[in-house]
Amino acid sequence: MPQHEPSSLLATVEAVHWMALAFMGTVYALRLWWLFRFGRASDRSAPGNPAQSTALRGGLYSLGNVVMPWAMESTRKPKGLAFYATFVIFHLGVVAGISLAFLSSLDRALVAGPAAAWTLGTALAAAFLVALYRIARRVLRPVLRLISTPDDYFSLAMLTVWFLLGVCAQAHVAGAARFAGDAYLIAFLLATSFFLVYVPFSKISHYLYYPFTRYWIGRTLGHRGSYPYSRS
Amino acid sequence: MSESQKSYKVRKLEELLRNKKLPRQVVGSLVGCIHCGMCHESCHYALSSPDDPRMTPSYKADQIRKLFKRYRDWTGRVFPWWVGAHTPLTDEDLERLKDIAFGTCTNCRRCTFNCPMGVDTATLNRLMRGLLTSVGVMPEGVRVVSKDQWEIGNQMGVLKEDFLDTLEWMSEELAEELGHDRAAIPVDKQGSKVVYAINPREAKYDPRTIKSAALIFYAAGESWTMASEGWDQTNFGLFSGDDQLGGAAGRRVFDKVAELGGERLVISECGHGYRSTRCEAPNWAGVTVPFVMESSVMTMLRYIKEGRIKVDKTKNSARVTYHDSCNLARSCGFYEEPRELLRLVTTDFQEMHPNRTENYCCTGGGGAMSMSEYAPRRLKSGRVKADQIAATGAKIVVTSCHNCVDGLGDVIKHYKLDCQVKQLVDLVAEALVLDEPKPAEEAPQVAVTAAAGAAAQRDGRSLTGRRILVVDDEEDARTFLSMVLEDAGASIFQAADGAEAIRVALKERPDLITLDLSMPGKDGIETFTELRRTPQIAQIQVCIITGHPEFRKLIYDRPVAPPEGYMNKPVKAEDLVANVRRILELEKRRA
Repeated sequence: MPQHEPSSLLATVEAVHWMALAFMGTVYALRLWWLFRFGRASDRSAPGNPAQSTALRGGLYSLGNVVMPWAMESTRKPKGLAFYATFVIFHLGVVAGISLAFLSSLDRALVAGPAAAWTLGTALAAAFLVALYRIARRVLRPVLRLISTPDDYFSLAMLTVWFLLGVCAQAHVAGAARFAGDAYLIAFLLATSFFLVYVPFSKISHYLYYPFTRYWIGRTLGHRGSYPYSRS
Repeated sequence: MSESQKSYKVRKLEELLRNKKLPRQVVGSLVGCIHCGMCHESCHYALSSPDDPRMTPSYKADQIRKLFKRYRDWTGRVFPWWVGAHTPLTDEDLERLKDIAFGTCTNCRRCTFNCPMGVDTATLNRLMRGLLTSVGVMPEGVRVVSKDQWEIGNQMGVLKEDFLDTLEWMSEELAEELGHDRAAIPVDKQGSKVVYAINPREAKYDPRTIKSAALIFYAAGESWTMASEGWDQTNFGLFSGDDQLGGAAGRRVFDKVAELGGERLVISECGHGYRSTRCEAPNWAGVTVPFVMESSVMTMLRYIKEGRIKVDKTKNSARVTYHDSCNLARSCGFYEEPRELLRLVTTDFQEMHPNRTENYCCTGGGGAMSMSEYAPRRLKSGRVKADQIAATGAKIVVTSCHNCVDGLGDVIKHYKLDCQVKQLVDLVAEALVLDEPKPAEEAPQVAVTAAAGAAAQRDGRSLTGRRILVVDDEEDARTFLSMVLEDAGASIFQAADGAEAIRVALKERPDLITLDLSMPGKDGIETFTELRRTPQIAQIQVCIITGHPEFRKLIYDRPVAPPEGYMNKPVKAEDLVANVRRILELEKRRA
């Protein structure tokens, strides 16, 4: 429960965004229930090369892929490594935004100190810049234009606005931009609420599936002996 | 056009997708893509056509993803436009999907290994292929080959009589070379420890690989046999996406090994055959296989390590490089053993980069070699492979896959590279030392000399005395075929169209006619029928050589005796000579 003394509007907005979180959790639970209604395919073939790998080892390796940019050619080459860096910045921005939204509701002091303010503010600002780059990339590259859906564009635009509002809200919480009252924080929390309600229906919910898709493909290829792989 | 006006095939395809039992691993790939575009540069089609965004793997996978969202995913059912859910409406739409699923992807799985989300795009493309195949939408080449595998039991339609004749012919050649018949290929020998399964391409176009394998088994003193049926380890179900065909073809092999009491199924060098038989068929067929299955590469490596065969690597001194088959490396984790064997039988091995699971496709994967309509696109995508090969400076590209042999052969020819393709079995046979012979399990010791590969040299004049009529409307093709056959010792006659072919055949009575199908005026199909119906020339052997495998059905559906051979263009010189020689040898034996 919030421990600071918010205005009645801010209090309402804070309550709404907790409700939005509950809604998101409910839809996510339904989504996982839907996914797990599909049967599991078991592999009847003998292990591919036990000395090299196992299903479990392959699964774990695959899960660890997110912190191993050297593991895939697509993230190892200079161009891919740069994109991987933007991925890290972008997702750290998401973590910062979520932290700001919920910690400020619980106890504004948690995010008002200089260390927290600079850390979260910098992460959000950097993520905002990356988001702008990503919009440009998606709009300008023919390959991405071809495969993008309205949801892809909207999700990215929504996150870009949310990062920007996050920077402003963080500045406000840290004591800057007092002239706007709680307006920035209210706008940021309202955006967060919308974000939480929309996300389960959009591609942003990819992180819900991510651990499963990665683990499953890792198990499959680990059983066959192709994961973890080597090169020379 | 409204949804109510959907074509019958589209409605059927929807019904299949709605009711299809999809494993959650596949569903995860269907919902997991974030359209980040990271897969783009992992695909040889995309790299070779940078201006065509349709070559990007996620676009290809989106074709099935759009359908899945429309019919199985609730977001797509409620907000189809917003999330990109879509359904085809007409048969033309299905043809467009066919072009994407079969013509722009070899299911090589390189993008799968480069997807940050773990999306298995190749599996999704195979799913799309399977749905299209189920409603009869597929390239003609795939249809013909699948039909042969269902009906005849092997994907190249090799009849049992021809198969056994070929084995006998190889046994005779071995006997000639070794001076005895103890290395003869055993057929249906009950209780053999090893049952050897091959790719029908070996029986049809390149039986020397069977002979090389037989020599190695003999030298190792192995208790082995080949089966008269259920010997085809390839499986077009993998390419067409038809799990039922995949299961049936696999079960045919498994049942035969069990019937013969084999302890080990050795699969000749074939990427998709190994993956299908060893890894996928037990799942498609729903069986647990009670015997060991291994690639012949592992078998040969084991023989050398156990001292059962001796090799002299200096016999293979040219620089070699190794091309990893997609199915072996990415889908079976099988990439160190071929290298280990290669280092034992060659002196100058140069690694290709990238390699192993990161290697690029040969362009012939996913059944691409049977889809001639996509050949120009396939060859364009081969630029990546050509650059890889050229960088090694190798004179020999070694691979453990028959599709790769053909795919790489095309790339080498198209990009004018100065090298040739070989399989490991060829190199092991060439390096084999038999001066200290090992006893065969059921044969006394003899001193023999290894002569594998000698037949290839002898093929140089193997058609001496033969009279061959080459029929083709394209002068270049006619000249090439004539030159190759003439170099092999044959006397050549030529005809540029069907009418001339009949005239020359009646006048010269050749031993064999190579016949193109697509010709102006009297085409090859009409000419073939007339040849067969004209008593004076009805018995002449005919080998169809065409760039249109889709015409195959037309030829075989004619109410006359089928042709003795059938080759797809482009034809390699050694394949042409071997095939023509085989047809003539078989005829001689029958006579």
